[in-house]
Amino acid sequence: MFRGPAVPANQIHDFHPPIAPSGLYWVVPVPERGLTISPDGNTFTLEMQNVAVVDQPRWPALDSIATPARMTFKMVWKSTGEPLKYDDSSKHLRFTGTRASCQLEAEVEVPSIGFSWKSDPLNASKCDFAILGEEVNGRYYDS
Amino acid sequence: MDPLTQSHPHHSRREILRSSALALLPLAIPSANYALHDEQPMPANGGTDPYPIPWLDKNGSHNQPAGANLEPSHIYHFKGRVARCSTFTGMGTDDQGNRIAFGSPTTDYGVMQGEYWAARAARQGTFTHI
Repeated sequence: MFRGPAVPANQIHDFHPPIAPSGLYWVVPVPERGLTISPDGNTFTLEMQNVAVVDQPRWPALDSIATPARMTFKMVWKSTGEPLKYDDSSKHLRFTGTRASCQLEAEVEVPSIGFSWKSDPLNASKCDFAILGEEVNGRYYDS
Repeated sequence: MDPLTQSHPHHSRREILRSSALALLPLAIPSANYALHDEQPMPANGGTDPYPIPWLDKNGSHNQPAGANLEPSHIYHFKGRVARCSTFTGMGTDDQGNRIAFGSPTTDYGVMQGEYWAARAARQGTFTHI
């Protein structure tokens, strides 16, 4: 979050899960029924409530203090139908899917400082890059 | 003549007593040895958490922005459905009524649902990068 233009000097909050001891980066499990996929596979809807995250306003500074916080959000990807395929044998990665649009609405709360924030409705947000599809990587690449 | 000083002419009696006391220390803290006997045999296949993408670590962080021809998943040894997005922009309101913008070129999210390999076995799961 930024007060003013989205440049590092204006950043006042940054919410994300902690990095796992394994190095897994800002990744958390999604509860059952958290992700719904339309029957035609063209719409992904991800909804989670009260996800344990941290607020690191000075991220990515190494000494940025992490304050426990909670995040509730809904995110919707919709395929545009434009095909997209990556296949990189050197990285054992194959993606087959389409470009997409994605919109987000969210609420965050930092109880220890009494801060909360709620985004405008889903259709008020936009993103410049989104994809959805299927991927194989690692040991599954050659199978 | 003191037989001790005769057989060890370079060590005082005080030094010998100190050495004896140190030699008894392992007997005084035997818990580490006994703990091994209490442990039950079990598999040692590693944790069930997914693996990070190893080659993403060019910045030392196992992270990268979303983009064309970039790895969409954040977990390795994975096959399934993925979605990825970045460069969000939007607005919101805080508890004081202040309008605060969110999103930047590095604001990215992702979701992965399918099979992954961990602890030497195939597993099913859904994960998100937020």
